[in-house]
Amino acid sequence: MQNNTYILFPSHTDGLSLEKLLKEKKIKYTIVPTPRQLSKCCGISIKINPNDKEKVEELLIKNPNIKIEGIYTLEKKTKKFFV
Amino acid sequence: MADYRELWKSLDMDLEKHDKLCEVLPEFYEDVYLSQKNRPEGMNYYNFVISEVHGLRIKELDDHKQNGGKVLGTFCVFVPDEIIFSADAIGVGLCGGSDFWVPDGEKVLPRNICPLIKASVGAKISGTCPYFQSADMLVGETTCDGKKKAWEILNDYTPIHVMDLPQMKRENDKKHWKDEIKLFMDKVEELTGNKITEERLNNAIKLINRKRRVLQRLYNTRKADKLPISGKDALLITQIAFYDDLERFIQKTEELCDELERRIEKGVGVFPENTPRILVTGTPMAIPNWKIHHLIETSGGSVVCEETCTGTRYFENTVKENNKTLDEQIDALTDRYLNINCACFTPNEGRIDDIIRLYKEYNADGVIYNTLSFCHTYSVEYKKVKEALDKEGIPVMMIESDYSLQDSGQIKTRLEAFFEMLKERKSAYAK
Repeated sequence: MQNNTYILFPSHTDGLSLEKLLKEKKIKYTIVPTPRQLSKCCGISIKINPNDKEKVEELLIKNPNIKIEGIYTLEKKTKKFFV
Repeated sequence: MADYRELWKSLDMDLEKHDKLCEVLPEFYEDVYLSQKNRPEGMNYYNFVISEVHGLRIKELDDHKQNGGKVLGTFCVFVPDEIIFSADAIGVGLCGGSDFWVPDGEKVLPRNICPLIKASVGAKISGTCPYFQSADMLVGETTCDGKKKAWEILNDYTPIHVMDLPQMKRENDKKHWKDEIKLFMDKVEELTGNKITEERLNNAIKLINRKRRVLQRLYNTRKADKLPISGKDALLITQIAFYDDLERFIQKTEELCDELERRIEKGVGVFPENTPRILVTGTPMAIPNWKIHHLIETSGGSVVCEETCTGTRYFENTVKENNKTLDEQIDALTDRYLNINCACFTPNEGRIDDIIRLYKEYNADGVIYNTLSFCHTYSVEYKKVKEALDKEGIPVMMIESDYSLQDSGQIKTRLEAFFEMLKERKSAYAK
């Protein structure tokens, strides 16, 4: 089974600050709409490979100015809209 | 997560209904966009814009309004953005690309008109589109009968200014369109309280031209043998161009183009070799209408260009810059805008020339003629286009469809057969 890890933020500016760091550190990421299971508010989160979770947590400890609302790992499943 | 509910409430939105709309977007976007392989990294910016489509951008419009600025909602590529921006107002394209809004639209409109009109009206009367809710004034035009009459209904909700677009391109039609641009200018000045001067208009012309040039740069990368970006992604960028912050959009799209040009140099493509290259022509696709592109690109084809209002018609040809007088500037605007080849004109031979030219420029293998159900002008025009393409030996297939996904299996089957034919044709020519 494959998983995805999502980082949620109190505001998009925190998300963009983390994006900058991930880019610098060459950690693969995708900006995505926050999955509904995690939050009901529309907005961005950052999806990473679950294997990079620790690296990202370390980065966040070193950069306490970047606020997050949590890191969650969900089972990867894509709903198919087109038959 | 940023909480935009207070903002939405202040815009008099139906929060409960809007929540249902928000529920679908993440999964739908995941299925259509995030499932693609080897997407350019620069697409993260557009993921960001879509994720914040009813959030950050609406907040920016709200801030602009708090500072005394105005927001104008538009529906059509004939409305000159230059006039809006030269009065320090912001122009945004309005919602109308989802099935979600159609039932509300059908409450006040007949069922047998195009889904774009039904969805737009539905989006407004259901109070679930924050762009509609942010608009101080709507700007309509007379590109079809359905829209023309729908303005009268929308006017009950938001003041609307309608530009009378001529349907022929004779000298007196040009004069008429010039007069319409002047009337629009007066209206925008009255609404904003800002005078449109030569300098301001010239700056706005330059700014909008920059947006056009970056979109052209993006489309140029799609002429490459190995496509550095999918058609779906390119479509998304053009759709976003209609409402995003201009400077940020231009900067981010230039950055993406740098990446795409590097991909071309390295020979990196997003599709397998010999994937048929498709030119899509026809009616506009408003967010989140990604249906035809998605079906094409999951049935063994790739879209290389769109001859549509959410494609080349939006950005081809720039407005002449650095004219000294307002009158000359308005002439330049008249020339550029009346040069768009929309099916509302008769005759409309320019569009046929455009399709053939783009087919060659983008090295396409076939054309998909796509029209929204009940769009008379585009459906009728198919006959003339088909005759001309037949004469040129260009394969074309017509798909008429609305926003519902029920016919997607059927369309997929037709597309697969069409692509097989294109492949055989290509290998026969190669021999």
